[in-house]
Amino acid sequence: MIKRVEVQYRGIFQKNLAKKIGSDIVMIASSMGQRAFSNGRYSDAPERNGIPCKYFAFVSPDLSEEELEAECGAKLEIDEANVSVVLDDTMCKGVEPWGWHGVRPINERVVKDGCLVVITKRPHEELLQFIGKKPYNYRLATLDGEASLAGLWVNKDDLTYEHVLGAIAAVEPTIISIEAVEAYLMKKTKDKKRAEAARAAYNSLRQEAKPPRVKTVTPNEGIVWTHEIPVLPKWFEMQEGAVVPAVPRGFQMGPKGQSRNTGFKRGTTKTQRPAVRFDLCTKCTLCWAECPDECFDPTTDGYYDIEYQYCVGCGKCAEVCPVKECIVMVDELQFHDNNSPWEDWKKDPKTYITSLEAKKGTERVNYPVVTGKGVIVTKGEVMPEGKIVPVRKTEEVEV
Amino acid sequence: MTVTMEKPKSGMSDGVYEREELLNGCQAVAQGVCLADVDVIAAYPIRPYTEVMDALSKLIADGAFDAEYIIADSEHSQFEIVKHASSVNARAFGGSSGTGWMYGMEALTVTATDRLPPMFVVGNRALDDPGAFGVEHNDAMAVRDLGWLLCWVTTPQEALEHVLIGYRVAEDKNVRMPMALAIDGAFLTHSQHIVKIPSVAAAKKFLPQYDLAERRLHPDNPISVAPQANEDWVMEIRRQNWEAAKRARGVIKEAYKEFNAIFGERYAQPYFDEYMTDDAETVLIGVGTVAAPGRTAVKRLREKGHKVGYVNLRWFRPFPTEELRACLSRFKSVGVVDRDFAHGSPDNCGILMHEIRSCLYPAKNRPAIVNFIGGLGGRDLSIADAQKMFDITAQAAKKDSMDGYITWIGLRE
Ligand code: SF4
Ligand code: SF4
Repeated sequence: MIKRVEVQYRGIFQKNLAKKIGSDIVMIASSMGQRAFSNGRYSDAPERNGIPCKYFAFVSPDLSEEELEAECGAKLEIDEANVSVVLDDTMCKGVEPWGWHGVRPINERVVKDGCLVVITKRPHEELLQFIGKKPYNYRLATLDGEASLAGLWVNKDDLTYEHVLGAIAAVEPTIISIEAVEAYLMKKTKDKKRAEAARAAYNSLRQEAKPPRVKTVTPNEGIVWTHEIPVLPKWFEMQEGAVVPAVPRGFQMGPKGQSRNTGFKRGTTKTQRPAVRFDLCTKCTLCWAECPDECFDPTTDGYYDIEYQYCVGCGKCAEVCPVKECIVMVDELQFHDNNSPWEDWKKDPKTYITSLEAKKGTERVNYPVVTGKGVIVTKGEVMPEGKIVPVRKTEEVEV
Repeated sequence: MTVTMEKPKSGMSDGVYEREELLNGCQAVAQGVCLADVDVIAAYPIRPYTEVMDALSKLIADGAFDAEYIIADSEHSQFEIVKHASSVNARAFGGSSGTGWMYGMEALTVTATDRLPPMFVVGNRALDDPGAFGVEHNDAMAVRDLGWLLCWVTTPQEALEHVLIGYRVAEDKNVRMPMALAIDGAFLTHSQHIVKIPSVAAAKKFLPQYDLAERRLHPDNPISVAPQANEDWVMEIRRQNWEAAKRARGVIKEAYKEFNAIFGERYAQPYFDEYMTDDAETVLIGVGTVAAPGRTAVKRLREKGHKVGYVNLRWFRPFPTEELRACLSRFKSVGVVDRDFAHGSPDNCGILMHEIRSCLYPAKNRPAIVNFIGGLGGRDLSIADAQKMFDITAQAAKKDSMDGYITWIGLRE
């Protein structure tokens, strides 16, 4: 018997966290007398900021280590996951680490009766508005918390790691038991608060816990997944000499007017998307010029529309926009489509602004990525329509 | 004989092993380098080797290991630094992957002809283009005819142990050849397993001090290395190198004997491992991590009554000609698994196939032989793939024709 754990994480910002979880599952399972090993999805490296990646741990009570390695060793994808941990709930929209696999549902590998554990503040129903349907029952566990996003290659010690170990023990105790988790954490850190954090997460996901956090998801819950897996060409159908055909050339004014690579959209990289108040825009071109992924499409009336499918959520546009509240980064799960924001605004400016401001809320969340411990939250404000207030932005680097 | 990914039998209590750690292949090599008390490390990054240099720099930064650690400006300089350090009697270590290994090729050739014994780890990686990180063996294979020791291992535990064994063989006064330790990219370099780490005392007991003796480059020992010699000298120098490669076979055998004596019976055979071959009719032979699906397939086919076995070739240079000839002529058919290619070569087979076919030519009982090319660029070779290869190999014993002589496994066709 093999039990597989998949840790889905945001590249670089959560790499060390995911690796730590995968590694310690091996140590804990092995302390329970099982065979185990771990690896990352090798093709995920070199990672880019925020790109969805995976780390794995494999556990077996009866197979030899070699057989376990032969069954599960560094494949691009594991065959199935008994537990799939999602370290950032915005990945529930799907993951696309590599172009040639397309956008894949977050629960793709979860087996029948297996468990998708999502670190989130949201209820099950809200997450299921993004997650693909499965043909069988599986469990969805919501582990209370915010995505632990740290700076480059940094692991933020905020007890997320301990919580995840406790959560796995709750939903699949044959992989690691809570007692073994506690014993391991005590032995390794001699810090009671860590064992307690694991136990608290464990308790929160138990059947009898209130509110119930583990839900059985039936085949009619979730959404119909529309992205298909691209069919890769056979060897004799490809161009020789490792040649890649270019994206067709061309450009038109207006939404989605640029010719882009339809094979790799990159949009699942973002945790936040830039929300634009076109009524505040001075048409200065900075967002269009600075976006590293060329997501802005110029419109005939001088604005810059965004093609969200290609936006990686880097925040550069919001950083350079010289007008207060004109471009603001907003939680990605507030949005259910990738429609052209400029078209929505044109159709009905009032509704567009009201609905956008509702999604923006009152907090402005910023993740300093170069260094830093994670997140900076400042107060936002609702600008009246057309009120242009210039801002000079300086970036403070938190060390 | 049964050799798989088993852990060492001796334990902490007898002082041979010190502790257990979860290590991937790269980190295990770094632990080996630390235990070998290497003096000079030169480094230059390229995936998947990079994690070896990362792990070493961390060991040094943490104060767990003391060595000169030099970051070079390229692989060529890196390999030159290692070679020069070796020539002044410093135990030296370097490593690379894929095109990085090829970029330093000139330095690699002279290290062999200068008969210096540093160690390099090669995290096997496909040669560009296209840029790919996954395993392919052509990179390490490039030194196969230059006077190198070349050896593949299959687990982090073996990787650690072969840093010690490698230096033991390379530095022996009867050998003094550079050593390339090849570890499959991803499947070994980045797979984390629990590894038993030998104690410093046990490692010291096994691996003697490096002593280049009369060839040590030092003011007290005035010699000149690497002169211009031309036609009056080159033949004789090449002949000497041949002799060293011949002697290396014996030294390898001794080294495993000594290793087993200290660390428990870790290795039943020095040059290659046989798995369930005693009464086998059909065997596969390969190098590197394909051993895991290969041996697992054997285990499962045996349960169904098939007489199959697996041979894991560890030492590619020097090639264990006599031993392998004797071993393989016992079987009806042999399937050679190449994670490499030799385009345009006879029958367009892989490198390992050519070596084995050539090794078997003088044999009295030649088995039927077929070739598989698979797992290129990091594509996985599964248990099912191995079962398919056994099937094709078994069929080969029954037919005279060459069809099915070479099969690409896992290709989109
Ligand atoms: S956040 Fe802005 S700058 Fe960054 S990719 Fe998206 S649209 Fe471009
Ligand atoms: S940076 Fe801001 S003001 Fe300038 S064009 Fe873009 S949205 Fe308009």
